[in-house]
Parts: sequence; C-alpha cells; structure tokens
Amino acid sequence: MHELYKLASGIFVWIAILGFAAGMIGRLAHLALTARKKDPVVYQYFSLYYALRSMLHWIIPFASTGMRAHPVITIAAFVFHICLIVTPLFAAAHVILVMESWNVAWWHLPDPAADVMTVLVILGCLFFLIRRIAQEHVRYLSTAGDFVLIALVAAPFVTGFWTYHQWYGYETAGILHMLSGELMLLCLPFTRLFHMALWPFTRGYAGSEFGSLRHARDW
Amino acid sequence: MNQNNQKDTANNKNGIYDVGIDKGASRLTPEKIRKVFDALVETEGGARLRAYTNACVHCGLCSDACHHFLSKDNDPRLSPAGKVKQTISRILNKKAKLDVDFVKQACETVFTECNLCRRCVIYCPFGIDVAYLMLFVRRGCHQLGVVPQYIQDTAHSHASTFNQMWVRDDEWIDTLQWQEEEARDEIPDLRIPIDKKGADIFYSLIGPEPKFRAQLIYQMAVIFHMAGADWTLPSAPGWDNSDMCMFTGDMEMTARLKKIHFEAAMDLKAKRIVMGECGHAFRSVYDVGNRTLGWKMPPLPMVHAIEFYAEIFREKRIEILEKFDRPVTLHDPCNIVRGRGLGDEARYVINETCSTFIELEPNREHNFCCGAGGGVINCGPPFKNKRVESNRVKADQLAAARDKGAEVLIAPCHNCHGGLEDVIHHYELGLELKFLGDIIYECMKKE
Amino acid sequence: MQSRHKTAARLARLALIALLFTVATVFAQGDITTVEDSGFEKRTRPVVAFEHDAHNQKAEIYDCAVCHHVYENGEKREGQMSVGMECSECHLSENSGPMELTRAYHRMCKTCHLEKNAGPVQCAQCHSRQNAPAK
Repeated sequence: MHELYKLASGIFVWIAILGFAAGMIGRLAHLALTARKKDPVVYQYFSLYYALRSMLHWIIPFASTGMRAHPVITIAAFVFHICLIVTPLFAAAHVILVMESWNVAWWHLPDPAADVMTVLVILGCLFFLIRRIAQEHVRYLSTAGDFVLIALVAAPFVTGFWTYHQWYGYETAGILHMLSGELMLLCLPFTRLFHMALWPFTRGYAGSEFGSLRHARDW
Repeated sequence: MNQNNQKDTANNKNGIYDVGIDKGASRLTPEKIRKVFDALVETEGGARLRAYTNACVHCGLCSDACHHFLSKDNDPRLSPAGKVKQTISRILNKKAKLDVDFVKQACETVFTECNLCRRCVIYCPFGIDVAYLMLFVRRGCHQLGVVPQYIQDTAHSHASTFNQMWVRDDEWIDTLQWQEEEARDEIPDLRIPIDKKGADIFYSLIGPEPKFRAQLIYQMAVIFHMAGADWTLPSAPGWDNSDMCMFTGDMEMTARLKKIHFEAAMDLKAKRIVMGECGHAFRSVYDVGNRTLGWKMPPLPMVHAIEFYAEIFREKRIEILEKFDRPVTLHDPCNIVRGRGLGDEARYVINETCSTFIELEPNREHNFCCGAGGGVINCGPPFKNKRVESNRVKADQLAAARDKGAEVLIAPCHNCHGGLEDVIHHYELGLELKFLGDIIYECMKKE
Repeated sequence: MQSRHKTAARLARLALIALLFTVATVFAQGDITTVEDSGFEKRTRPVVAFEHDAHNQKAEIYDCAVCHHVYENGEKREGQMSVGMECSECHLSENSGPMELTRAYHRMCKTCHLEKNAGPVQCAQCHSRQNAPAK
C-alpha cells in the first residue's frame, strides 16, 4: 500500500500533469500550425469580438435557442461540467496535498459542498449514460469509446466519494481514486475529452464566420 | 424495361437508381476508394476537419435542428452527426473498409440528405460546421467520379458554357433583347443595357432565368428603370452567378466560374455587383467564391437583390401605388439569412410593399431549409419524392402560417422556390409562391 | 572481559535514560491519545487518534527531538527539543491561516510514515470517522 501510495502521489502525478500539459499544448499547437498551412481562412475570418460574442451565448445557461429547446440537458450539462471542473480543483483534500508538496494554497470548498458536487457529477454521468442508451438518435451516434469515457470520468468521483465516506475498503478506494484521477488527466488531451480544449476554437470560429462574414447569429 | 433492370441493380439504401452514383461507383475498387479519400484527407483535410471531428461528443443536440431528421420520424441516420458518422468518420478511420456500397451510400447521404443549410451549426454547442464536413465528402465523391447524374450534368454545363443551363452565348443576348422588346410595350423608353462600361451596377443572375423564367429579367429591368439605376449586363460568359460545382465538390471549376463572374464585372468597370434573388448563387459569390480565389472578401462590392430593394425604398427611388393586400409570409433562405443576415432587410422590403405580414415560426436564422438547397434539388427527379418527404416539417411550418391567414409565401431565392413549390404541391398547402421582385413589380408605379 | 563490562554499563545507562525519559513525558503530558492543538479553531475533519507512547514504542522513537524539533533560521538545532510547546507556537503565523499548521502536521507524520513504509498516509486513515467528529 505504501509503495502504491508513493507511486500514485509521486511519479504518476508528474506523468499525468506533464502528459496533460504536453498533450494539450502539443495538440493545440499542431492544430494551429495545420490551420496556418491548410486552413488559412481560419485566421482570416477569426474575430475576437465575434468569437467572444458566440462563446458568451453558449456559456450562459439558456442564452442560446438550442439550450432553451432542451432545458433538461442544459441544466444537467451545466451542473455536470461546473462540478466536474470545480470539485477537483477546489476540494479541500486536494488543496492541502498541493500545499504539503509545494507550499502553495488557494481557496477550497467546504467538505459538504464538495461532497454534494461529487454526487452531482456521478448523477450527471448516470444521466448521460442513460440518455445514450435510451434515446435512439444518441444511441446511434454512440461508440464504445463514449461509454468508456463516461466510466473514465465517473471513476475518480466514485472512488473519491467512497474513500471520503470511509466505507469498506476505503484504503483501496483511496489509491484507486488517485490512479483514476491521474488517468483521466492524462487521457484528457488524447481522447474525446479533448473537446474541452477545442470548444473555444470551434465555437469561436463559428462565431467569427457567422458574425464577421455572414452577419448572422449562431445561437 | 431498361429502367426496371436498372432499378433492380440499385444498391442504395432507398432503392433509388442514379446512373451517376451507381454506375460511377461500380467502376471502383475498395483500394482505389481508400486511396482517393486518404489522399484527399492528406492534402485538403486540415485543422477544421480534425477539430470538428474530434470535438463532436456525440451528444445528438444537432438532431432536431435538421429537417431531414425531423421529417423522417427522427431517423437517427439522418441527424447531422449521424450523417457524419456514416461518411467522414468512416473515411477518417483508416481501419474501416471503404467498399463500393459505402461510396454509393455516402454519396447519396451527402448529396441528397443534407442541404448544407447550416441550421445545425447554430444548434451545436461546438459550432461544428457539418456543411463543411459534408462538402468534404462530396469533394471526395467528385474525385472518385461518383456524383448524381443530374447535378453532374449541371456541373458539365458550367464547365463548357460558364452557365448552369447550357445557354448558348447567342441565346443569352437574344433573351435579353427579347425581354427588352417585351418591356418596351409597357415602358417605351426602357433599356436592358448590355456591356455598358462604367455602370454603377453589374447585374448578374442565374442560368435558369434566361432559360425558364425570362419574365424575371423583364421585372428586374422595370425595377432598375423606375429606380433610375445605371446598370448593365455582360454579353459574354460571366453573367451567370450560379455555381453547382461548389456543391459537387469541383472546386477547380468553382474557381473558374467565380473568376469569370468577377472579371466580367471588373472588365465593364462596374462599381458593384447586384445579384438576383438567388440564395445558392449568393453563397457561391459572397462566401465561397472569394475564399476559393484567395480573397477574404469579394474584390468589389456586391449585394443581393434584397439589399438593393431595401436601398431603393430607403432612398425613395421607387413608389408603391397600393400595397399588396393579400396576407404574406416569408421564407428566410439559408444562404442569405444564415449566410448573410438579410432577414431584417427582407422584412423591411415586405413592410414597404405588403399590407399584412405573418411570420413563419421559427424564422430568420432558425428557419427550416426549403429542402432544395445545397444542390439537392439539382440531383433531379430520381430523388424528388425523397426530397419532398424529407421536408414534412417545412410543410407543417407553412401550414401553421397558412392557418393564421397567410395566402402568399415569399421566397427570395430560386432554389427555395423549386423546393417550396414541390412541398406546397405535395402537401396540398394551397399557398401561392412569389419572389420579392414579383410583389414590387406588381405594386410599383410604372410610369 | 573488558568489553563485556562496557556493554553492560552502556545497557544500564540506556535503561536509566529510557526510564527517566518515560517518567518525564508522563509527568509533562499525561496520556496523549489524540492530536490536539489550540491553533485549530475549527476542525474540518475528524480528530486524529494518536497514542503517543504506544506509537513511539512501536516506532522505536526515543529521541523527542525527532518530532519535537527546534528550528532556528531554517536549520535544525541538534540537541534541542520543543517538548511542552504546541506546534502552532511556531507553525501558525498571523498572515497564513491554519493551512500552515495543517501542513506542518501532515508533513511531520506522512513523511516519516512513507519513509518507514509504516503507518497511515491517506486522509481517512488518520481522520477516521470513528474518532471524534469534525466540530
């Protein structure tokens, strides 16, 4: 257990963080260079104003027609994504671990809040899983990878919840929590989770083309 | 009899035989298909292709943005992402086998089950341009020589005559002179000026106008005349602003077409281009043409007819005797509303010319496509029934406006006219279809 | 012969020191069973059970300064110890909150546990819910 803990809190953290950073920067840089070479139009039409205008309409709940047409998904998606990003960054235990290692600290969530948010992420995963299976048109689009992805995202939250509540086998859950969290971070740039990094660019470009060239709204 | 045999061999999912698709594909082998698509991805597939296909999380929020999906009882294969899955996703998956059947089905999907209307782009949280992806596959189909026969014929016409309808140079001039003669019965001093140097306006239109709807040239000439416009048309090729090649994936031809169109205007030293009431042509000149030729924006100012109409009403250069008194509704064409934001201008012109206006719901950027655009209607009779059935949602939308009292449907786009005419007829909606120019001509002071 | 005497004398001396040490700590601190520090105004996790004597016996720690260390100018003072002081007297400055104190405790315990491959290292292993709850 100690050896595993040392790995999970040591070298694996570095692998995950460096892999994540290198993957993110590498893939985005590759896209930027490819765009220079093959899609120069992207740079021509890209407009910060219209990109932000579009992003704003898609980052504020119910600010786009599509979001208003699908209120349940809109709420689920916003709650899920906010909790998914905020919880790991501001969980007290995470902040303390960082503080222990690097002596830097930031604001952290009260434990009960993090607890509730973890549940929301898990429920969100369940919601998306059920939707993927139950809705015919989403099921048609789904690949095996999509299901693996849901599991990949759910794993650190389920194990974190488990070890926090100290249920049976919480020590194993704690190790699994660390490993699965690292795995998710590492996978971020190399799986469909990369949509997180692509969003500002695809949305921004759609907004730019629609705004500056087509004088139309894209929300 | 021959036809029946052909139908038996049709391998598409809808049992539709199209010589361009079926015969074209029968000449291919899986190796060749793979080679061509891989080369296309290698040479032309850039950051957008990768970003769009990688960003899609298969959420399905685009599904009910698509009139094909909605009209065919939510058929999952017809959602925008479903069409992506069946076509470009398989192409990008190097392990997937691309056989002859794949090409046939992919070709039918990208040419006849997507109107490139971009409605889904404004419903996708990522703004993924599905039209771009569909066009990418069409480009591959073009390179493989698998294109529906009718639209390919149109593309051939473009290649040999620089217009869409095999109109010969003398026929073109003849038609203009014929319409001038007709119009002079009504307005004796009216001219249709050909090759006038340095005119304010270079007027361009689409091939089907001289071919089938010469009356529209007459009408526009009257509007120009009464508005006191200084305008001209070229005698040589370049007068046709339409472009089916951009829809078949023949971008080399698109470049030639747009070049000759711009050059015709610039040779005549015209100050700007005014285009007729056509949507796809507007897209080809304003959005596609400039890019293809390497300009960020068109090399000289250009406006759609709606913008020109709005201008002459604002400047009070034209007078309406009595407003059109039957209740009208407006179909916002994709290519000039999602493609150029002219929804407000169109409503302004309607307000100036019609007494009662009833909105379609949804409208403006959210309007449903007519089902004809993106070259779909140009794929011709084999796909007509399918096309009309794939736009039941449009019929429902129109019926709702009709039930509110609308009698006349205004569609300032040729493609939309074709599509909507079929929808109105098939679903027995009883709406009359008009161009904005029809209304202006009918209600304006002409002496 | 000589060496055996020496060994016995050394053992006796050690035993005496150990005895004195034990007596001294018992007098000074009583039975320590939990980690307490007045520096924590509010406890966010269950209290940490810590049987001071049993722990040190099991861990074979006889030098108080291993834990009750004294630092001056960033350097450990050998031979000095801080027995009787609360950790917060040094590890809680005005401008950085209780996180600093938390850090000191965690580092003290965990670093050693990891070095020795013994003892708890995960959150729940110390802050067990079977202990007194957060307050």
